[in-house]
Amino acid sequence: MFWHQRQVAAVYRLCSQCICGATLLGASTLAAQEQKWPAAWFQPMQTAAELGIEQFTQSPFLDDKNLPSVAERLPDNPPVVVPLAGLGQYGGTARITPNEWLTFPNMEAPLTMAADMQTILPNLAQSWEVSADGRRITLTLRKGIKWSDGAPLSSDDFLFTFNNIWLNTEYSPVPSRNVEGGRAVKVDDLTFYYEFDEPRPLMVNLLANYGDFFVDPVHYYKDFHPAFTDRETLKQRIADMGLLTWMAFYHAAKRQLIEESAQVPTLAAHRVVSRTPTRVLLERNPYYFKVDPAGQQLPYIDSIDSQQVDNKEVIAAMSSTGQLDFSAYELKTQDIPLLKLGERNGDIRVLVWNRLHSSDVVIQPNYNYDDAKLSALFWQRSFRQALSIAINRDEMNQIIYFGRGTPRQVTAHPSSSMYDPAFAEAFTQYDPVRARQLLDELGLHDVDGDGLREFADGQSLVITLEFMDWETPKAISLELVALYWREIGIDLRLKIVDASLQSERALSNKMQMTVWHADQVTDILLPINPTWWAPISSSRSNTLWNAWARWHLTAGRLGKEPPANMRQLQQWATEMSATVNKQRRIELGKKLLASNAENLWTIGTVGLAPQPVVISQHLRGVPERAIWGWDNRWTMAYHPATWYFASDQAMSAQSVAKQGTSHQPRSSEAVTSDAVVNQTILSQSLVRHGE
Amino acid sequence: MSEVSAQLQARTLSPRQLVWLRFKRHRLAMASGYFLLFIYTVAAFCEFVSPYGTAWRNVQAINAPPMRVRFVDAQGQFHLRPFVYGYDMQVDDETWVREYTENSQKRYPIYFVARGESYQLWNLFAAERHLFTTGEQGYIHLFGTDQLGRDLFSRVLYGARVSLSIGILGVLLTLFLGVLLGGLAGYVGGLLDRAVQRAIEVLQSLPALPLWMALSAALPVSWSSLGVYFGITIILSLLGWPALARQVRGKFLSLREEDFVVSARMLGASKMRVIFKHMLPSFNSHLIATATLAVPGMILGETALSFLGIGLRPPVVSWGVLMQQAQNYQAIVLTPWLLIPGLFVVLTVMAFNLLGDGVRDAVDPYSTGGQS
Repeated sequence: MFWHQRQVAAVYRLCSQCICGATLLGASTLAAQEQKWPAAWFQPMQTAAELGIEQFTQSPFLDDKNLPSVAERLPDNPPVVVPLAGLGQYGGTARITPNEWLTFPNMEAPLTMAADMQTILPNLAQSWEVSADGRRITLTLRKGIKWSDGAPLSSDDFLFTFNNIWLNTEYSPVPSRNVEGGRAVKVDDLTFYYEFDEPRPLMVNLLANYGDFFVDPVHYYKDFHPAFTDRETLKQRIADMGLLTWMAFYHAAKRQLIEESAQVPTLAAHRVVSRTPTRVLLERNPYYFKVDPAGQQLPYIDSIDSQQVDNKEVIAAMSSTGQLDFSAYELKTQDIPLLKLGERNGDIRVLVWNRLHSSDVVIQPNYNYDDAKLSALFWQRSFRQALSIAINRDEMNQIIYFGRGTPRQVTAHPSSSMYDPAFAEAFTQYDPVRARQLLDELGLHDVDGDGLREFADGQSLVITLEFMDWETPKAISLELVALYWREIGIDLRLKIVDASLQSERALSNKMQMTVWHADQVTDILLPINPTWWAPISSSRSNTLWNAWARWHLTAGRLGKEPPANMRQLQQWATEMSATVNKQRRIELGKKLLASNAENLWTIGTVGLAPQPVVISQHLRGVPERAIWGWDNRWTMAYHPATWYFASDQAMSAQSVAKQGTSHQPRSSEAVTSDAVVNQTILSQSLVRHGE
Repeated sequence: MSEVSAQLQARTLSPRQLVWLRFKRHRLAMASGYFLLFIYTVAAFCEFVSPYGTAWRNVQAINAPPMRVRFVDAQGQFHLRPFVYGYDMQVDDETWVREYTENSQKRYPIYFVARGESYQLWNLFAAERHLFTTGEQGYIHLFGTDQLGRDLFSRVLYGARVSLSIGILGVLLTLFLGVLLGGLAGYVGGLLDRAVQRAIEVLQSLPALPLWMALSAALPVSWSSLGVYFGITIILSLLGWPALARQVRGKFLSLREEDFVVSARMLGASKMRVIFKHMLPSFNSHLIATATLAVPGMILGETALSFLGIGLRPPVVSWGVLMQQAQNYQAIVLTPWLLIPGLFVVLTVMAFNLLGDGVRDAVDPYSTGGQS
């Protein structure tokens, strides 16, 4: 029987290559890790034909909607997703906030990735091929996938986004590194390729992680793009909507920021049907291309009600009082006790996942800061080492993370083939005595007797750290770091800035020091953009070597020439993203990480930290334990389209509760029997078809 | 003392003594006065009174509730020396709440005026004696601890120093600006008067809170904590002086034609001398009452700015900073003791208002005296 635990465990061992045990856990809680992931999640999705599914059904929600039959709407041979919680049932409205717009709705990309954060799998494309020189990536789309308005998905949609958006000099005056020197070329309606001047084999990873931003319905956007519409008409059209440029329109429409987002066809499981400044309503996409093992068209959940809430405190409060059916993005580790308190009322469940961030805080000294004295000090390796060992990470772990995080430097995630525990542990031992000694050796002494050190010439030494307090608990971490550094005589001043100021000050190289969270640390993204370990790019999140990165990006035209060791790092990073040889890639990655472990270009604190995920008591299919972060697109590998609400009674009970009257929780017995029935159906269908 | 003899005696009393007599009859004002005297003394000596410094952390007690001071132990035995029981902390696996239970094995006696953490009183004198402490082996948190394990009692006292002194300093600055500008406008008149009047109108037409916010957001982040402290004080008093200047100007307008002012001028006294030596004393009682009533405004201003995260910044501790850290849903539900600083703000502001009432009644020669 397919779902038998031992068999699943055996499958696990068999593909230990792809399901590395350590991957799926934060290092701390191994015992709870008997998560039974369907083995199908780690292989290309089987198709209905392969499983012998001939009958397809749709949600009653779509009956009487004047739509073509479900078989006509589905692709010729729809892919089958195996749900984690067994076959689900249709219905329900999920309440979320717009911050979850990428985490709860099932977004769709040409490729996707498995929960191990290593395996790349086909999705919209049924296959892909990388040429031997790594310059050409050819994709073949599944036949018959349709946009949510019924128009067929074709190569042109991919060509449009790549050639007319990413490479458009109006939209991005400086093309992103990811698309630079490339073009998308059509072979036929279902086949196209990306071709680059330089080898770019890791475009595949990008298409899995960020692929939903590489495809757009050209039949819709051509009315709003200068390549397809004459300038005058276009200008008028954009002005009529109250916007200034077509770029602004594209950006806002894509990100569900304006009313017109409701007109944009999508491939995702849910489409926007109305958008106001306070609320986004989504309904199931009637043309969604995936089905479950019983031939039911996904998703299970009929609609999504996403209500704008600006204040994070309010989001935490709403989550804990059961006013949201899924909430995680704005929740922090410290919120867990509060959320758990709300759990006792029986409306919600609080799942504790682990963030993939190698460190919740990446402290970035700016080596190219204008003040030569300060940047020269930052450049002293022993100064950074002193700052690092002055941080009491175990104490931080206790105070902020209930002892459930892992003290770490900024390095690869344990799932990565480049991971080495020694990289993570380098200079994490708390040793203030040694730190003081290192600072003394650098000639930084307390001259005026205020307990804080001055430069050797007596000038006061003050470091200002500006940061944006979001995603991870940065403010409290930095408050502690400031206290630790004060103990060794370093005066760190903190200032919280908002998103626009962060971008502006980071990009204009005005920040002495800033922090971000260490994502891009798994095999999916690390090799593409090893941004923490080599001066190859700079952005609002990464502003420690702006001038050197610019020098690198402009081939020496702008910026400042970096020192020899930096150029070595740049060279390794460039080669890593260009090589088609996997062994060589891992080797280079390890070199970069080893160099960081020795030099500490950035300073990490605590990582792999607990991430609360609050779900409705009735929501099924959400993994108990999983990994949360940008690298794996938060939930994408866990197939949100297969999440469902337990039953009608439960839903009505919920709506009664919403109205403030008494509320009968469903007996656990009923839930179990439902699950048993589901699993039986599921295993029968799979066994019958030779799985 | 009978009513008659009091009145007889009153005839020989100076105006100052009269005011004091009237003030003493105002019971609430007296009580408030004592309370403020007490809290200002404590704030002045906060290094000595508090058992810990502001940065001292107790990692064994993160978000720990307030401790109870006991005389009777778990066995029912009475101890003359008060003591507290130490905490056992456990993170509940289910709820993730840090649960603290008193452990009667950990009995920490409280020693008075004993050695503890060393400190610098007023940044001048090195000392290590604290009013009360449990010494090295234990810990005492009368108001509990915050999310970093810092002693809230100590922080409230250190915060009192900052918040209360900002009130006084700000008012002094306000008084100075108000009297100077209002006095000059009223005394000199003409163009200067008109300029000051227009400035006052402009300043008063601006809503106070957004202007405070804008000004304090403009304070450079690289300023030292002392710089920010004075910056905030100046911002608060910059917006406080217009009202006072108006009153002073009005007074001066009516006073400047009085005989004693005219004669002083005739005798060749300088403008400043006339203002400060002759005119000001004739209504300084009024000024004192106004000033007393203005202090709570200053304290609330600082608290509001810091509460919004744009006033004083950690590591400076003020009541506003402390309340900002309690500004979340968690604090209300799980750690309500973090709201204690708010109680101090309320008490202080109330005390100042009552005191101000008393002073106003006392200095007003026509008042019936403290029958509020």
